[in-house]
Amino acid sequence: MSAPTTVRWVGVDLQETDATRAIVEAIETDNADITIKHFPGMIKIQSPGPLHINRSTVEEKYGRPWETHEFQLAIISYAGNIANWDDDEIVIKWEH
Amino acid sequence: MTVKALGPYNFPPADRQELFGDDMLVHVNWDGNLLFCAAACFRAPKAMTWGDFKAQMVDPWAAGDPDYDPSRTKDWRLGDVPFEPDPNKTLAEMGVRHKAVIKFRD
Amino acid sequence: MTKLSMKERYHLLTRDLDWTPTYVAPEEVYPHSRYEGIKIHDWGAWEDPFRLTVDAYCKYQAEKDKKLYAVIDSFAQGQGHLGLSDASYVNAVKLFIQGVSPLEYQAHRHFGYLARHLDGAGARFASLCQSLDEIRHAQTQIHTISNYNKHYAGMHDWQKMHQRVWYLSVPKSYFDDALSAGPFEFMTAISFSFEYLLTNLLFVPFMSGASFNGDLATMTFGFSAQSDESRHMTLGLEVIKFMLEQDEGNVPIVQDWIDKWFWRGYRLTTLVAAMMDYFLPKKVMSWKEAFELYFEEQMLGGLFPDLAYYGINPPRHVAQAQAEKEYVSHQVYWILYQYTHAAAFNTTIPSDEAMAWLTESYPTTFDRYYKPLWDKAKAIEAGGGRFYNMALPQLCQVCQIPMGFTEPGDPGQICFRQSEYEGELYNFCSDGCQWIFDREPEKYVQAWLPVHQIYQGNCGGATIPDVLAWYGIAEGDNLDYAVSTDKTSWDEWHAKGGN
Repeated sequence: MSAPTTVRWVGVDLQETDATRAIVEAIETDNADITIKHFPGMIKIQSPGPLHINRSTVEEKYGRPWETHEFQLAIISYAGNIANWDDDEIVIKWEH
Repeated sequence: MTVKALGPYNFPPADRQELFGDDMLVHVNWDGNLLFCAAACFRAPKAMTWGDFKAQMVDPWAAGDPDYDPSRTKDWRLGDVPFEPDPNKTLAEMGVRHKAVIKFRD
Repeated sequence: MTKLSMKERYHLLTRDLDWTPTYVAPEEVYPHSRYEGIKIHDWGAWEDPFRLTVDAYCKYQAEKDKKLYAVIDSFAQGQGHLGLSDASYVNAVKLFIQGVSPLEYQAHRHFGYLARHLDGAGARFASLCQSLDEIRHAQTQIHTISNYNKHYAGMHDWQKMHQRVWYLSVPKSYFDDALSAGPFEFMTAISFSFEYLLTNLLFVPFMSGASFNGDLATMTFGFSAQSDESRHMTLGLEVIKFMLEQDEGNVPIVQDWIDKWFWRGYRLTTLVAAMMDYFLPKKVMSWKEAFELYFEEQMLGGLFPDLAYYGINPPRHVAQAQAEKEYVSHQVYWILYQYTHAAAFNTTIPSDEAMAWLTESYPTTFDRYYKPLWDKAKAIEAGGGRFYNMALPQLCQVCQIPMGFTEPGDPGQICFRQSEYEGELYNFCSDGCQWIFDREPEKYVQAWLPVHQIYQGNCGGATIPDVLAWYGIAEGDNLDYAVSTDKTSWDEWHAKGGN
């Protein structure tokens, strides 16, 4: 039994606030083929392949130091597997 | 014992018939009429006659549908087994058990 | 001195603080983690991608709370509730505080239990964080909704109602079923099936519904809680993968639990389906659309192919849930509509605009099966009445919802399933609920079914007013929205020249 789609989307839902704008821009910069949908208060980002959030890119967009732990303040939900989360990056993808 | 447990696991059913004494729960469904979202659940004496059960419990409930005509009910089934309503038989004599389901159409 | 990496810090402050006791056997320290038959060979393989430690946990949770309470309090002070789309929206909030908030508290208690009873330090710490998250959720929900309680009916005794009222036995029994299972089943039920598989079907409708309808406070609470939920989702996915990877013998046990808890959780979400399609004056999306996006696409299309690697199949009975997306919201709201005289929220006939949206959103079923019912309800109202079902309904032994669900393939026929166990009959709404009963009958024969308890005289008395008093349902809490105190208040507040 499987759904009709052949692409297995991964993604994150983020709060739509000033504070998360830099993160969204960083994700757009570092990931090709993503789609961004706006819902009230929420931004839905989807990627056909692994989704990367890189600390250095986020810091560039923010213009200040940023810890990957801070991503917790932005995230509402996600689809996929958190394959890695360390000081420099967060990677979300399906494993198998 | 199907339940995985740390010790013995054997508890009496919370609504077994003996808790209702000489009464039982009986469900009635008006098949095909979705106005009533689900079958009704009545508490009735086992010795209640069908005539009394229909007049005192089924009809007042079903009359919630303005189109209900108590004389026009048909195709009565106990579970899936058809029966002819006999107003003088008791529910027990009809074979109605605790938590059985009775169905009809109009 | 160089700063520790996240990974090193996490290990030092969690699993490296653990030890294997020499003075007592592990199974004596952790006596609850073996009886379910799940075999774990190496707890060290447990992974927590968030790698939170207590200091980071406290820092970020405090920051979330500061932001959240500022919004809640400013909404209250600014009389934000007057900006709701309509007072009828508040019925979604009533359903939430009565039905969902008590489950947050139960989750808090049980994750505290897991923080003691799981053998692995990583799993214990994740459970401890979750226990703190859940009490946070309970508290922030109560705080947020306390403001609505000042102005609207139905929310004054939600704890008592959760214990006693017929429709609230649905979420209560669901969680009690999980609480009374073993630790691994609980985590499969709640961390995985509820907080991963089905979570978006619960939270997005409520929180987006809040945002669309001017409920800034609930929306803010919702998004804030969801950031905790992303850790909970991770715990859920981790526990499933961990069990499947630790021992092949775990696979069939886990499959059975996934099958059971998908169905129990799905039946619970049908209450949310009714809320989405009928309680919200401004609609977010239909239940059908939400189910397609959040379950079919993300879970069946995304997650289950991942789990296939371990030999896990999509849940038994999932096809029934997929078929039901076309009509289940209508069936459940129809139940709530005709029993509103016994509920602590209001329902009403959908407006013409709402009916048009329902027709458009459900082209194959609404006009055929449900519009005729609403037309009849309208006719009864036009004659000066209001359709209330004056008999108690038949309840499903497992999900405890009135049996308003229909035969697979025929939305015109109520579905009846029945099993006999030790000389007693038990009735079910569906194959899914019957399957759950048949595999553990000793558990479900104990169910406290509201209708059966009323008939045993355990609910305050023999009449509806007696039962409502026992429920804690006060005048103003029940009946149609059209005659409600909420509507009267709303109209007064919004009258020209009014407040």
